[in-house]
Parts: sequence; C-alpha cells; structure tokens
Amino acid sequence: MTHSVAAPAGTEGTAARRLVLVLLAGSAVAVALGVYGRAHDPTHEQPYTLFFSSTIQLKVWFATAALALAVLQVLLGLRLYDKITVPRRTPSWLGDAHRLVGTLAFAVTLPVAYQCLWALGFQSTDTRVLVHSLLGCFFYGIFTVKVLAVRVRGLPGPTLPVAGGVVFVTLVGVWLTSALWFFTSRPPRLPAY
Amino acid sequence: MFRKLVNVVEVLAAVGAVVAVVLLFANEPGSTTGSTPASPGAALFAANCASCHGADGEGGVGPQLADGAVVKQFPSVDDQITFVRDGSGSMPAFGGQLSPAQIRQVVEYTRTL
Repeated sequence: MTHSVAAPAGTEGTAARRLVLVLLAGSAVAVALGVYGRAHDPTHEQPYTLFFSSTIQLKVWFATAALALAVLQVLLGLRLYDKITVPRRTPSWLGDAHRLVGTLAFAVTLPVAYQCLWALGFQSTDTRVLVHSLLGCFFYGIFTVKVLAVRVRGLPGPTLPVAGGVVFVTLVGVWLTSALWFFTSRPPRLPAY
Repeated sequence: MFRKLVNVVEVLAAVGAVVAVVLLFANEPGSTTGSTPASPGAALFAANCASCHGADGEGGVGPQLADGAVVKQFPSVDDQITFVRDGSGSMPAFGGQLSPAQIRQVVEYTRTL
C-alpha cells in the first residue's frame, strides 16, 4: 500500500536542483563526446575484428547484441515496476538481473563507440550519419543521467524510469541509423558477419 | 553471491569505459605529432567506401583502389565520378547519398591512395 505524502518544504526545490545537476552531468558527457569526435582526426583504422570479416560487421552485431540486451532490460524493468506480471511472483534476484543486463548492454557498446570515435569521429556527411552521430553522443549522455539517477538520492520520482526509457529509445535510434541500415543497404557482396 | 557478481561486472564495465576514454586521448595522433586534419574526401571514404574497398583502399569485398589501381581503371576523373554517382553491378550508386561536390572529393581522395 502506498501513501501520497505532501513533500516537506524545500524538498521539491532540492530535488529539482539535484535533477538539474544530473542533467548537466549528462549533457557534459554528450557534448564532450561530440567535441572530441569533431576535433579528433579520424584514423580510418579498423583496430579489431575478432571473428568478424571486418570491424563494421563487429560493430553491427555488437550493437544488435546491445539492443537485444536493452530489450531484455526494459522487460525486467517493467516487471520491477509491476507494469507486467510475468512471472507472477517477482524473484528476489530480479533487480540484480536488471542491473547485470544493463551493464552488459553498456559494456557491449564500448568497443563500438570507441571505433566510431577513433576511426570516424563525428560526421555529418548525410542525414543518417548526422543523426547517428548525434544519437551516439546523446546515448552516453542520457546513460550517464540514468546511472546517476540510480545513485543520487532525492531526485523526482519519475527520473529513473524516464531516463531508462530515453536511454532505450536512443539506443534504438542508434541501431536504426547504423545496424539496420547495414543490414538493409549494404552492397550485395559485403558479408553480413 | 549473484549481487557480488553484478557488482564485479559493473566495476569492470566502468573500468572499460575509463580505459576507452584514456585510449582515445593517449593515442591521439594530433597530441604528439601535430598531424594535419583528415580531408573531407578521406572522411567520406571512411564512411562510405572503406567497408568494401578497405580502410586504405587496399581492396576487400570491393576491388583495390590504392597504388594507382583506380587511376588505371579510370584514367579520366569524370568517368570515375560518373561511375561512383550511378553505380554499376555490385557497386552501389552514391548519387542519392552524396552531393556532386562530395563525390568529387571522395573520388579525388581515392586517386591519392
């Protein structure tokens, strides 16, 4: 059972100030990545390929894995907030599983982002590339907001789920402007993996 | 136990993020050598061509461009521009993705590889 309790005087102001600081931190991360990508001289290197035919395939499949993990994390989050009722009983480990899946999704994006920034930088050669560059920077900014929303106490209640939702939508946008484009528009002889 | 594992994974991910940022700056060529910025043609090549023709035009799924190969194939710049713009066979047409100026930039870049 939940109770609606009037916030003590000053609490709302404090929460708003904390939220502004958290948003500023996220903005700083996003802008810093964009500035780096713009200022850095693209090396056009393919620093790693693992078992893929080239780095672009690695990036496409890592991004797809990140998206799949993000979908799973959203589902776990929905269960945590009782927005879905499967499974009927909430396992005690659900929150930790939510954290683990999100962390893995973030970790999988790191080699992708590194190669993007290092080899290509922030580009605006066409609309897709520009949107992808913007979303890529924004993703880590809003991800920072989400992580801070978990750690910082006293933020407005909806901050965490809203930030999580925006992180997910942004990742979908990043994937649509890169991996989906690759799957649907790559030259016929370019391997898919 | 599971929570400890999650904590460890979170720490490792955070370390990975820090390492990535450090590598971005530690390997920055401009910070030590003062190299000149990449040309627009080079950036266009990296974004649109390198996945097939190789990062340095050495060839891959697409044919080699470097070491004069593209100049030999297209002695005329204008012929190469037409080819890139309109495509042919497995070579996609870039006329819808790149402006005429961008196509010229990337074509001129390939001829320097």
